[in-house]
Formats: sequence, structure tokens, C-alpha cells
Amino acid sequence: MSTVLAQTPTATGTESRRTPWAAVLALALFEARRLLLRAPMLLAFLLYIAWIVWRTPDFENGYPALQDADRATQSGPMLIALALLVCVNQAMLRSARRDTERHFAVLVLRPWQRTAGHALSVVPVVLLVAVCVGAQFGWMALGSGAVGTASVGELLVGPLTALLAGAFGVLLARLFSSVLAAPLAIVLLFFLLFGGAFPAGSGERGTRWLTPIVSENTSTAIPSGLMDRPAAWHALYLLGLALTVALVAVLVAGGRGPVLMGSVAAALALALTGGIVQTGALPDRTTVARARATNAPEKQQVCVRRDGSTYCAFPEWKPRTATWASVVDHVRSSAGGSARTQPVLVRQRVYATDGLASDGAIDPSANPHQVTVGTGWGGPRVPEFSAAVSSVLVTGSEKATSGLCDGRMVTIMWLALNWLPDPVKSLSNVRLDDSVTGSAIVLSPTNPMNMTSGQTSVVRELLDQPRESVAAKVKSHWAELTTPKVTSARAAELLGVKAPKEQDKCD
Amino acid sequence: MRLTIRELTLPVWRTLPWRGLAASAALGLLLAGALRWGGGDANGWPALTLLRAAVLAHALGLTFLLDDPARHTTATVPTRRALRTGLRIALVTPLTALWWTAVVLLVPSDVRPPVGDVTLEAAAACVLALLAGAVALRWTNEPRPGPSVAAAYLLTAVVTPHLLPAGWKLFVWPQDSNWHAAHERWAWLLAGAVVTLVACLPEPVRRMRIGRRSRTLSPSGV
Repeated sequence: MSTVLAQTPTATGTESRRTPWAAVLALALFEARRLLLRAPMLLAFLLYIAWIVWRTPDFENGYPALQDADRATQSGPMLIALALLVCVNQAMLRSARRDTERHFAVLVLRPWQRTAGHALSVVPVVLLVAVCVGAQFGWMALGSGAVGTASVGELLVGPLTALLAGAFGVLLARLFSSVLAAPLAIVLLFFLLFGGAFPAGSGERGTRWLTPIVSENTSTAIPSGLMDRPAAWHALYLLGLALTVALVAVLVAGGRGPVLMGSVAAALALALTGGIVQTGALPDRTTVARARATNAPEKQQVCVRRDGSTYCAFPEWKPRTATWASVVDHVRSSAGGSARTQPVLVRQRVYATDGLASDGAIDPSANPHQVTVGTGWGGPRVPEFSAAVSSVLVTGSEKATSGLCDGRMVTIMWLALNWLPDPVKSLSNVRLDDSVTGSAIVLSPTNPMNMTSGQTSVVRELLDQPRESVAAKVKSHWAELTTPKVTSARAAELLGVKAPKEQDKCD
Repeated sequence: MRLTIRELTLPVWRTLPWRGLAASAALGLLLAGALRWGGGDANGWPALTLLRAAVLAHALGLTFLLDDPARHTTATVPTRRALRTGLRIALVTPLTALWWTAVVLLVPSDVRPPVGDVTLEAAAACVLALLAGAVALRWTNEPRPGPSVAAAYLLTAVVTPHLLPAGWKLFVWPQDSNWHAAHERWAWLLAGAVVTLVACLPEPVRRMRIGRRSRTLSPSGV
């Protein structure tokens, strides 16, 4: 008997020291399973995956720049974050609502350990979000048209936002015992983040980086070296903030001890370091590099020669030069005279002066036989570039096409569109109002061109005719078709289609 | 009948979830007040966003209105549930109207969106919140479905503006040419919600059982 008594306390002693963490882990696993199977959570994941499938294939017309693709993964996890905040909050308040709180008092876990278990239960959801973000990004990155460099910091923002929301839900449950607190907090947060109430400041850096997702207004990619978004510091800030919030919830639930206090201090230090560094002013060398990339891109670019022509691109876009070369070849093959063999210089140009803050116009180049190409590709970008190439072949330079309002426009547009798989669709793509009749503005990488209603009908008729017969007429009348001041009526006559009634007249 | 209502009013008044309603209404007033004291944009959309956020906050409070811990014990009393639930709604309606008036008046008149149309949106949102609660009561055995209803309502409110097809837009700006068409849709939504709400009020004779809690319950629901 005495032996039994002597042994039992020792056994209980080791037990009590070891068991709680195993129990916290068991609770976390159990709660994680319940959390993942909640209806709002399942619905949110379903919608998130549907959003990924719907959104990803057409991102940047199927030719993504990875420095933009990483940011495109950030808004979807907001939905999961929202559902996670509400669900984890309700899971924590479940015992109070069901009046089982007093039963837990006899268990091994203290309230702060249960809080820790709930906080850990969000981790599997966060990992699942990370898998989804990885899948979405992988889908974009593995496509044949992808170029550029992604940032891990930007990719981490989605999962870390979910982690932050989960931690916040845990803290809310510890502060307010009402299940209404979480939905109301979400309304308040949404209002602060999206309703324009957050003091965002006007600069690129500054307080706007304190919000979880920092979006940009631009639609054109710029080289990743010029973006200078403090993505890694922002990820560190989010991680620190999420850990701080979760650990404060454990503190509020009655957790004490040097390890916990030390962890809170460390997490707070992380959040503060990330928060302060990311809001610091933009370095001058970035501003200088951006201005240089906009005004004198040749210093940063690599050039490739193909069939006599030169293709200069920012290093990240070098794989795309082959695609540009095929467009130039197609356009030149239908041209006549010296234009058939005319070498051109295709130079990539971007407006990077303001970073990602705004889209700016690029001035047409005055250099003879130089064509500008932007950073985007696919969809309307292809006929736009094609029109830029044909206009330079016809007029000699980009500068010469500004204000062009005569019969040369017919030749330019036919050369640009005839080789494309669906010329009429490309015609509507390249026009600002997406029309295929009447007058319209034709987009190009630099200055837009004008197309009158008469020119449009001539081009439509030419596109309906067999390509070879039109190409033969274009080649035989090339000199006259490319003379300045040739009228659209004359061009139509030379190419053997009905001449438009009205005169060439541009607004 | 009249006697029953008079007798019921005070007990029902006491059982309403006042703290939640007060918190959500206060948040709504706070949001509307932010515009008066924090300055607003002149083109009218932040004012509309604020009013919509305020309505959402209040509607979230209303999703808990029909929660009744005593549901199972009162299921068999002679006074029908439609009457008790109707009384709850009737008690809250004038207060909501009062709250809405205060919210609208808090928005400075020069940035205030068309009041009638926004009131229509607010009414539809509030009735939809009540409807969500009533549907949860009608189709489940849960005495207090509030948290799940609030979560579902919030998720729907966040997701709907992004998912509605172009011809069914509900959340438009006053400058939009679809403003009137959208408010016709809001009116239809309100009418449909009111009809469905009334249809959901009576205690079902036979209960449809959805979810895990389909086991037989004692009258106290334990």
C-alpha cells in the first residue's frame, strides 16, 4: 500500500508537466477540424477556389508579369479571412453559449491554454490558404507567357491576412463575450479599410502600408527592380501583428509567465520593426532609376538581333522578343517595296516615373524605323503592336504617324490585321470603343491614331477578300499607297474595292 | 386576442436582445457620425458607403432578434409563435425607424444620397435580416440560430455585390444610370422578403430536420 502511495505522486507530477501541451495540441486539432467543416468556411473556400479558377487563366491576357501575378493572389484570401474571423470567434464562445464553461473547469486545460488551442486551430486554415495561393501563382507562373520575378513577401500576404483575422477573432472572443462582436468588428474594419476612412496618405509609402493588403492603381507592369515595394517588411509586419494579437488574447485569458511575456515582446518588436521600416520614405536611387528607365531605357536593356532587326527589352522581358519578332515578320511579309526588308528597332518602353502609382503616356519616338512595345502582351496588345509596326513601315517613324489622316491608314490597318487569326475581332480590340464600323480612335503603344468611317469600311472590305490577292495589289502599288496625302478613295481604287463617298476628315 | 397582446408586450419586450441591438445601432450611428465630424467626399459615394455600412451593422443586430432560448418550452403554449414573433418585430420596427431617421440626419444634407431610395435599401436589408432569422427558426430545431445567421448574412452581404450579374446590379451609385432600375429591384426584393417572412412565422406542424441536431428533444430542448 505504502509503495503505491509513494509512487503515485511522482507519476502525477510528470503527467501534469507533460500533458497540457499535448492537450492543447489535441484541442487545436479538434477545433481545426470543426472550423474547416463549418458551413461558412466551406462556402468561403468554395467561392475562393471558384474565384481562382475564373480569374487566373485570363490574368493580364494570359501573359502575366510575375511581379504583378504575386499581388493578384492577395485579394481572394480576404474572403477566407472574413469567414475565419467569424467562425473562430463563434468556436471560442461556443462553451459560453451552450453553458458548458463550468464543465471545462474540471479539465486539465486552463482558460489561457484553451485560448492558445483555439489560436493554433487557425493554422491549418492558413496553411490551406497558402496552398491555394501557391496553386494560383503556380498556374500563372508555369504558363508559357509568364515573365518577370515574383516576391515571396507578396505571396505571403494572403495567408498572413488569414492568420491575422483568425488571431483577431480569438482576441475579440476574449474581450467581448457576445457573438455579435465579430460581425460588427468586420463592418467597422471594412469601413476603415475600403470606405476611405483610413488615413492612407498620398505617397507610395507611408501609413497606407499599415493596412493588410496594399493594392496599386496601375494596369501596366514595370520592371520588378523599379517597383520597390517593401513586401518582405510588410510580411514581417503582418506576422508580428498576428502573433501579437494572438498572444495578447492568451494574456487576456490569464496566461502569465516569463516565456509568454517574452514572446509578446518579441512579436511586438517584429510588428514594430516591420511597420516602421515599410513606411519609411522611398529611397532616392529608386526615383532616379525609374526616371532613367522612362527617359533613357537603352542603358538598362538587353538587345537581341533577329533577321536583321534589333529587339531591345528590359532583361525580364527578354524571352518575349521572339514573339515580337514573329509579329514584325508577319507584317513585313505583306508589305511591298523596301519595307519588306527594312530592319526595324523594336524598343520596349514603360512609363515608370511614378512607379506603380499611375499610368502615364509614352511619347512616340522620332527615330526612324523604331517601334515601341509595352510590357503587356496577349489580347488587344498584339494588334496594337502590329499596328505600330505597320505604321512605322508605312510612314518611316512613330512621330510621323501623329495626326496622320489620309489613305495610308487603310494600308497600315490592313497590314496590321490581315495575318491575325480573327482580323475583325482584332480590329474591334484595337479600337478604343471596340466598334467595327464608323470612325474610331486606334490604340497603339504610344500615341493613338484616327480612323475615319470611310477608312473603316475599306479596311473591312479588304479583310473580307482573300489575303493573297490583296497582298499582291499592296505590293504592286506600294509606292503610291505610302505617299503622304494619298486619299482613302484612291487607296480603295488601287486595291480594287468600293471607294468611300466622304473625304478623309479627322477631328 | 387584444388582451393577449397587452399581456405579452412586457415579457416580450424584456426578452429582446437589447444589448446586441444597442451595440449594432450605436455602431451605425458612429459610422454616420464619422461623416459629419470627419468630413466627407463631395461626389456622394462615401456617404452612401457609410449609410450602407450602418444599415449592415444594424441588420446584423437584427439577425439575433428572433433568438429565443425558451423556444422549445413555448412551442406548445396556446399563444401561437407567429403572434410572439410578430410582436417582437412590431416592438423593434419603430425603434429602427427612429434610428434610421437619426442616421440619415447625421449625414450632412449636401452629401446625402436620395433619401427615399436609400431608405428602401435599408428596409430591404433589415427585412432580409429578419427573414434569415425566421427561415433558420422555421427549418431547424435550434433555439438560438443567431450566430450562424449573422455569419451567413455577413458573408452574403460581402460577396453579393461582386457576384450579381450585370443585369441584376443592386449596389449602384446615384450617378449611375441604373439607379432607378436597381431600386425597382430593391422594391421587389423587399416585397418578396416581407411575403416570405410572413410565411415563415407560424410554428411548423411537422418539423423539417436539417443538420446534426435531429435527435429527439425533450420540451426544454436538452
